[in-house]
Amino acid sequence: MIDLIIIGAGLAGLFAAYTAARAGQRVKIVAKGLGATHWHAGTIDVLGYYPTAAAPVTRPLDALRDLTRAQPPHPYALLDGALNDALENFLALMQELGLPYAGAANAGDNLWLPSPVGAARPTFLAPRAQLAGDLQRAEPMLIVGLQGLRDFYPHLIAENLTKQGHPARAALLPLDLITERRDSNTAQLAAALDEPARRAKLGAALKNIVQPGERIGLPAIVGLEAHRDAFDELQAQVGAPLFEIPTLPPSVPGVRLTNALRNRLRQLGVRIEINADVMGFHAEGDRVVWIESDASGRPLKHRAEKFLLATGGILGGGINSDHTGKVWETVFDLPLVTPPNRGQWFRARFFDPAGHPIFRAGVAVNREFQPIDARGARVFANVWAAGNLLAHSDSILERSLEGVALATACAASRAACHPKP
Amino acid sequence: MHTASWHSVGMTLDECIKCNVCTTYCPVAAVTDKFPGPKYVGPQAQRFRESGQLKSPDISVDYCSACRVCNEVCPSGVKIAEINARAKAQIVAERGIPLRNWFFGRNEQLGRIGSIAPHLANLGFHNPVSRYLAEKIMGVARHAPIPRWSTQGSFRKWFFSTPRLKSDKKIVYFHGCSTNYYEPCVGKAAVAVLEHLGYEVIVPPQNCCGLPMLNNGEFPAAEKLYRSNLEKLVPYADKGYPIVGTSVSCVLVLREEASEMLDLENAATRSLRAALWDLSEWLRDLLERGELDTNFRELKMVLPYHVSCQARAHRMGRPSLDVMTLIPGLDVREGNAKCCGLAGTYGYKVEKYEIAMKVGEEAFRFVRAQGDDVKFTTSDSEICRWQLEHGTHKDCRAPVEILAAAYGLYDLDKRRLL
Repeated sequence: MIDLIIIGAGLAGLFAAYTAARAGQRVKIVAKGLGATHWHAGTIDVLGYYPTAAAPVTRPLDALRDLTRAQPPHPYALLDGALNDALENFLALMQELGLPYAGAANAGDNLWLPSPVGAARPTFLAPRAQLAGDLQRAEPMLIVGLQGLRDFYPHLIAENLTKQGHPARAALLPLDLITERRDSNTAQLAAALDEPARRAKLGAALKNIVQPGERIGLPAIVGLEAHRDAFDELQAQVGAPLFEIPTLPPSVPGVRLTNALRNRLRQLGVRIEINADVMGFHAEGDRVVWIESDASGRPLKHRAEKFLLATGGILGGGINSDHTGKVWETVFDLPLVTPPNRGQWFRARFFDPAGHPIFRAGVAVNREFQPIDARGARVFANVWAAGNLLAHSDSILERSLEGVALATACAASRAACHPKP
Repeated sequence: MHTASWHSVGMTLDECIKCNVCTTYCPVAAVTDKFPGPKYVGPQAQRFRESGQLKSPDISVDYCSACRVCNEVCPSGVKIAEINARAKAQIVAERGIPLRNWFFGRNEQLGRIGSIAPHLANLGFHNPVSRYLAEKIMGVARHAPIPRWSTQGSFRKWFFSTPRLKSDKKIVYFHGCSTNYYEPCVGKAAVAVLEHLGYEVIVPPQNCCGLPMLNNGEFPAAEKLYRSNLEKLVPYADKGYPIVGTSVSCVLVLREEASEMLDLENAATRSLRAALWDLSEWLRDLLERGELDTNFRELKMVLPYHVSCQARAHRMGRPSLDVMTLIPGLDVREGNAKCCGLAGTYGYKVEKYEIAMKVGEEAFRFVRAQGDDVKFTTSDSEICRWQLEHGTHKDCRAPVEILAAAYGLYDLDKRRLL
């Protein structure tokens, strides 16, 4: 018997499952595939840009007060303190799971971390292995890449950082320090660095090229299962601060985060069924009774008392669209808040600071995080929604993706644990 | 007529967003750089395989084991394994098939010939000298866990020579080649369980499902086998009889893989799909309808359960687990290993044997972690059972054997009916 089925295995789905399972609910996750955590940087953005402000956000929690006043339907405006709880729970959980996260040295400030092209990106919490990359620190950087590793070009990164006033130089090391493979992706290299002997070779080479006072930026490949030890040992051996720069997919910090959360869910008895593409559902009155997923022979039915949607936005697959401009929610065909027609999806300029209206499309919810229709009436009595599926936030523009995911997952999951009649 | 279904293999190609989740989870790419990963040989290389293009010199897709983990983790629904299978078929169509792979595709005939004189066949093939020669001449890995022919006679021979239950409730059994020639005990256990539940078991004429040929790129020959099975089985489906199978991979081929890979979709394929069940899936359905006899004997043991990649590819949940957990005293432990490595005939090939063993290490490690007292393991696929026994030196049983034992019908040690 399952109390709560969560649809979606991204950050929102996993965190909602954790919140509910810890509150004693019997939880199952049903998902089409593994979630978007695999291609994200592993950092927790809360708010990096405020659409109408010229400057980036320095202190996101302060800026949120303005945002929630100015944009009452924004998911952040529905939270009642759940953001702080979610971030605290997340920090405690990650500490417990051996993948500790932290924020900027000046508590409450955003971090500014280098991207894999050397751009500065604001984020609120980062895994410990990324913290020394904060561009608010003064030490010059040595960005180290590996010959033959695709999509990570240290000279490009160093040049771009230097141009922005963050002194950096670049170096390339041979790939055979780490692996005998002729061809490797970042996930495979990270697994190779789980082995102490390979780390030691890399460490010796880094020690050789680093100059006093420098910090070293590496592609995010320092260990997968043994990441914590790998990072600590390598840093101690080199004797300089190290930081990882998240790469293009496979993004190892995202994989580590997913693995850690999934392991904890397994311990909590949460079953995660992936490759389960939800194709239909059955409702009686205003209650969903079951959902069914595509299977080789006949659809597989999943029954539960309650359902929480965390299927993501357009990229995650929670929302789909066609060439006629039709936009729909993919599981329950819930009412969506969208621009009225396709002509209004986009503004004329690609980088318009106000963003594009279609990216704010999504499911509108009440303060209980239950989907509502255009008149504000609850659609189903036992359905909740969280994450990037929600309307009224443009999380890429705002740099709020993971903050919205964690906070709304926490709030929706709590509401689902104690449903109001 | 060949028709593309609404969600056809080719159409899904455009759904790939290059996120690399498949590459991250591919068990083969993790252990060898001969296989660059599903994204590269699948959705990416497929762009260069359109008809009329020059032959690609890149044949690394041959190192895909067809375990389907890529499909499982893909968040976009790309049918990567099927794209790879078709690419292999294209290579075979262009360049011909190695003799060894031609033999591997014909395991039904091999089974039939060997079972004429199984003692002699086992002696003739399973001795160090012939295995050495088979490796040197044919490229069949000499240590690979190739099954032995049953010396008790085939499953069909047993079935048709013993008195069987007659009943109004009828069910059709698809045993597959492996049960018929190598593990008839699995078929006997299945018949015993079905008869115990009051069903008359019908074993119609049937042939190889075609999986070994599909995996080795022989699509035209596989299509003949599939069509032949449709002719033999669809009449029963049309009568409304459920058809059950104990081999998850055969059932997967007959229900979905063959029609997808061959782009063959019609009333007959739909009829078979609707009637065909994995036996555990069907038992779970009985359970949900309140019709399963749950009066099991206690089986006091720890039982590591390797969920084979072929079972997961069905997307039907964990029916064997759902049913086995009803057995009192039985501590079934579900593993998370991605694949046993053997993957059909993959691990039998000399150039792939080491890869298969490295892939399987995750499953072997899981079994070892359950303690030295573990006597049996279980898995839905015969291939996984052979590989697990090879890698762990512990006996592996089919879930239906465990159930038959729990109904008091079967001796798990001796692998025979009581």
